[in-house]
Amino acid sequence: MDHSNYQTDYKHVGQPYSRKDAQKKVTGQAQYAIDLDLPGMLYGKWLLSPHARAKILSIDTSAAKALPGVKAVITGEETDILVGLYMQDKLAMAKGETRYQGEVVAAVAAVDLQTAEKAISLIKVDYEPLKPVLDVDEALDGDILVHEDINELKHVEGVFFPQKDSNIASLNKAKRGDVDKALQEADIVVESEFSLPAVAHAPMETHVTIVQADPYSNRIVVWSSAQSPFALRQMLAHSFKISESDIEVNIPFVGGAFGGKAGIHLEPLATLLSKAANGAPVKLIPTREEEFNQLPTRAGMRGHIITGAKKDGKITAVKVVYDWDSGAYADYGVNVGKTAVYSGIGPYDIENAAVVSKTIYTNKVFSTAYRGFGHLETHWTIERQMDIISQKLGIDPLDLRMKNLLEPGSRTISGELISESSGSVKDCLAAVVKEIGWTGRKTEEERRKEWATGKVRGKGFAVLQKAPAMPANTSTSVIMQMTGDGRVKMMIGAIDYGQGANTTMAQIAAQELDLPIDRVEVVENLSTQTNPYDWNTVASKYTFMGGNAVIRASRDMLRQMKDIAAQVLHSTADHLAHGGGYIYHIHNPERRIAYEQLALGYQYPDGSGIGGPLISHGVYMADGLTNLDHETGQGKPALVWTFGAHAVDLEVDVETGSITILKVASAFDIGQVINEKLIYGQICGGVLQGLGSAILEGYKFSPDNRLLNPSFTDNKIPTMKDMPIEVVPIYIENPQKNGPYGARGVGEHPMISVPSAVGNAVYDALGINFHVLPLSPEAIVLGILSGKESILCTDVNCLPGCY
Amino acid sequence: MVDHKECSLLDEHIASNQRKVSLTCVVNGVEICDTIDPTMTLLHFLRDRLKLFGTKESCGEGECGACTVIMNGKAVTSCIILAIEADGAEILTVEGLAKDGRISILQEEFISEDALQCGFCTPGFLMSTRALLDRNPDPSEEEIKEALAGNLCRCTGYLPILKAVKKAAERERKELK
Amino acid sequence: MLSRFKYLKPHNLNEAVQYLEKEEKSFVLAGGTDLMILLRRNLINAEHIVDIKGLPEMAEFEFIDGAGLTIGASVVVNTVVDSEVVKTKYPALHQASASLASFLLRNRATVVGNICNASPGADLPPALLVYDAVVNIAGPQGMRQVPLHEFFTGVKRTVLQRGELVISVQLPDPGDGDKSIYLRQARLRGHDLATVGVASRIKPDGKVAIGICAVAPTPLRLFALEEKINERELNQETVEWAAEEIKQHIHPITDVRSSAQYRLQMASVLLKRGLSHLITKEDNHG
Repeated sequence: MDHSNYQTDYKHVGQPYSRKDAQKKVTGQAQYAIDLDLPGMLYGKWLLSPHARAKILSIDTSAAKALPGVKAVITGEETDILVGLYMQDKLAMAKGETRYQGEVVAAVAAVDLQTAEKAISLIKVDYEPLKPVLDVDEALDGDILVHEDINELKHVEGVFFPQKDSNIASLNKAKRGDVDKALQEADIVVESEFSLPAVAHAPMETHVTIVQADPYSNRIVVWSSAQSPFALRQMLAHSFKISESDIEVNIPFVGGAFGGKAGIHLEPLATLLSKAANGAPVKLIPTREEEFNQLPTRAGMRGHIITGAKKDGKITAVKVVYDWDSGAYADYGVNVGKTAVYSGIGPYDIENAAVVSKTIYTNKVFSTAYRGFGHLETHWTIERQMDIISQKLGIDPLDLRMKNLLEPGSRTISGELISESSGSVKDCLAAVVKEIGWTGRKTEEERRKEWATGKVRGKGFAVLQKAPAMPANTSTSVIMQMTGDGRVKMMIGAIDYGQGANTTMAQIAAQELDLPIDRVEVVENLSTQTNPYDWNTVASKYTFMGGNAVIRASRDMLRQMKDIAAQVLHSTADHLAHGGGYIYHIHNPERRIAYEQLALGYQYPDGSGIGGPLISHGVYMADGLTNLDHETGQGKPALVWTFGAHAVDLEVDVETGSITILKVASAFDIGQVINEKLIYGQICGGVLQGLGSAILEGYKFSPDNRLLNPSFTDNKIPTMKDMPIEVVPIYIENPQKNGPYGARGVGEHPMISVPSAVGNAVYDALGINFHVLPLSPEAIVLGILSGKESILCTDVNCLPGCY
Repeated sequence: MVDHKECSLLDEHIASNQRKVSLTCVVNGVEICDTIDPTMTLLHFLRDRLKLFGTKESCGEGECGACTVIMNGKAVTSCIILAIEADGAEILTVEGLAKDGRISILQEEFISEDALQCGFCTPGFLMSTRALLDRNPDPSEEEIKEALAGNLCRCTGYLPILKAVKKAAERERKELK
Repeated sequence: MLSRFKYLKPHNLNEAVQYLEKEEKSFVLAGGTDLMILLRRNLINAEHIVDIKGLPEMAEFEFIDGAGLTIGASVVVNTVVDSEVVKTKYPALHQASASLASFLLRNRATVVGNICNASPGADLPPALLVYDAVVNIAGPQGMRQVPLHEFFTGVKRTVLQRGELVISVQLPDPGDGDKSIYLRQARLRGHDLATVGVASRIKPDGKVAIGICAVAPTPLRLFALEEKINERELNQETVEWAAEEIKQHIHPITDVRSSAQYRLQMASVLLKRGLSHLITKEDNHG
């Protein structure tokens, strides 16, 4: 990709600048939480429950406490610290009962890791193993409750809806029109079920956390590999019943996040250890195994979908139920479940629709946010179903989609009006099918001919949509200061964990202030002590929201400069303009003052000064969003939709089941490219992560719900040999009126619908509809051997954990 | 499961300090002499003793390549090598790539092709690539993939890395003659 | 890692053998790519680690016409991958070596270590087995030789007794007109343990040898199947027949890496592909 191909009328917006922190990262200077080495620091280790569900009968820590070098030993018995994002359902450590294999039962802090590990090995726990709730079916039976106190659990009311005496952490729903009537009147009704297993985020840096908790006051200092410093501060304050201002959260460089580092994770445990160790800083470094089986994952999901259509392909009704296997605790899982409602029928205009989404407790490692926030999963259901409908109707899947996709004037299931400014999913789909040369599905005869060669090509595509999943009042803020030499330093509330927020924001400020990019800097390594607030660095929202905030901060700074310059130049601010590092008079550009002369206040020749150091700020709050009505799901949840489409060209080895991805074309209506180099990275990375979900990844559990693959040995992620031969990114630019320069976010979208497009291409190749992920070589071969046209989990010998 | 009783001699070991071994090696051109515990890995020697934090730990089992360093000319995963095995060896880490105050061509190409996002795997990729280009200045795409498939990256999708390596190889062939 | 071991790097074989015999909980360290994982996961409790990389006989890597190939215990897999003589004389061994783990790990992992670890899914044994490899073992009672197919006794178990260590593995010279191939199936293209690996060889006398991994507690040489194949004329029809027949000779299990059914199917496919490739090659030459 030649990143410079992308031209715009803007000087900085649209430029493919290299990321600002790249040099630190290629020289080993970038410091991550794992690299921090504080004076007097202790190392924590913890003991995990080996049982999916068990009573803790007794814990003997005496030998651990007696080990030289051990400074603190704690168990759940000694603390009641509740941790909960939306549901207050989790204790910092298990107490009385463990709810998943991998839950923390006891922890130690010691002078070094080896001593800590030794101490853990000396702790003896007596468990009484209990029958676990294995999967969503058992959970929905409700014979055993994962949380017996579900009726009393505190939660965010009016947004999440735990069901009485059940394992349903939240039931959310939406409806539009009369779906049952429309199904009766449809020419064809198609009913299907799709499923996929839990998948690991697998950031290269695990959830490393250091906490120093002052034993003489409420003060807590955190250094963490986290993506949501302000949410973390808020929740930690809530858990320990202290003020947010008592807490300082520092985020150094973060080694990957993907949603898994949103919210709060090991910080409460580290706080308890630090307190117990008389205030020494305590560092927790989860091993890769702990990253897999203790820290949260993407939920497994089962989607049941019934669609009604007319013969001409007009879809008149859709009814979907999503069951999320969300594990032992709700975390962000309930919000994923909620999002599945208002985005649960995909980017289609369907007059009669009903979606029910259940976030379900089971005795497994719990789930949280994951790049795409449920959309990869829901689109696996929606977009495979569209392909099956097209098969049944004998209509080209492209035509079927085009007939039903959202367009200006359409309304989403929650009643939001789509306008010209919303972007075009049709443009995206048209672009990707063109790129792979789609001419319709192959015929049975063509398929047979190719089959004889042992390798069959297939093409498929899928559309996608996603809006930021966030509270209706989400906000962000930026502080901008000018140094004495006329350079700009910005503090933002977001974390740059590799998506490039710092570079993008610098570009926007450079554009607004008309400064060279190297004169604008976003301060790295956020601290809640100095940086201004942002809700969470999640949801592909930051380019939009942060970008708008930076524009406002820049314009605020320009206004301040003009106010002072107006006095100096004996003019008025509205006669002044800016450019090239100067404030100048619009009619007489020679009458000008350089930024640096204003930066710390203007000094007259006699030595006196006016103005003062330039500091500006910008805020952006989501505008016009509302909560959703619980019964109907109607409301305004989406700040901005980003639409997209993928098309895949692949080849299946029909004997071994291996799939070769020849080409992926991916189009997104991002409104305006701000930095093509960074977007290209998001697309390549997201597409491969999506391919991981499509053909490789997934948790496997034993019959008693122990995780069988808690390592990279058996929980694989794609390597360089597994990337597609070709990835073609396509940027559609229908501007978003309220976006910065018309831009929309695209961080998560490259991952969404990749499995759907692959599944559709596999159908094109084999004439077999797979309803289960991953489409591993084994699943493909067992699917073929089964002789069936539709392959469900039971057909491919799946272990528990996949449906 | 570890039998805890079997480890009961441990404290005695720690106290006696008998097991310490001496290690001499050259790291990034500097000779290092140290006395270490024989259970210490090369990775932890670099990070904890030499404070060279550029080399990362991610899986600890040789599966991800984040800890890759060059030892006697070969790219190896330092997390599953005992530090004492490096006795007499020459080690190059990411901190040793830049010379005379200038970053290398390879590092420049990783920047300009955006072959990194979070950056955590980057030192490992750079070291695997350095060893590759040292033994094969003109690698094919397949040879690059073979040499780098032991390094995992969750951010980039690898395509930008592949491009950076190709460009760096080309530039090194031209500029380092 | 809970183990608190002493580290010893002997300079002669006697010293190593004596140490291993004397000290309980001693483990041999060559590449360490398996041993270090066992230590890290606390699956073993080591008190002594004996690094054999200082022993000159362990570094032997030599092919002698007529005598064959010797691979010492400290020879790393990438050395074998890069060897021209292995590429031409023992193609299956070259291919198995090149498919083992990742390039990074092959810079440390040794051929002999891959044998001694005795993993059911190890890639190198099928290729070594079809060449009638022999394991050279040193011990308190002196030297002994064990054919590789008798070396494995179970999952992660071998015939090695206390105080014994493998010095090298030795392969006879296959002579001219020998053909072999190693094919494997895994969950992805990047480094992975083999779901199934099959080495197929046609000897200069036209007889077939088949080695396989990940379908039994140990890597196997399928002597009974070979015998049945060798009773027939080696043509495409026989290959198709053998691909079915192999399913009677192996009893794979279902585990986290694969179902038994898929393993059985892949054994069949890989044998068919391997033998087909070899007989086609013969035809080309003929």
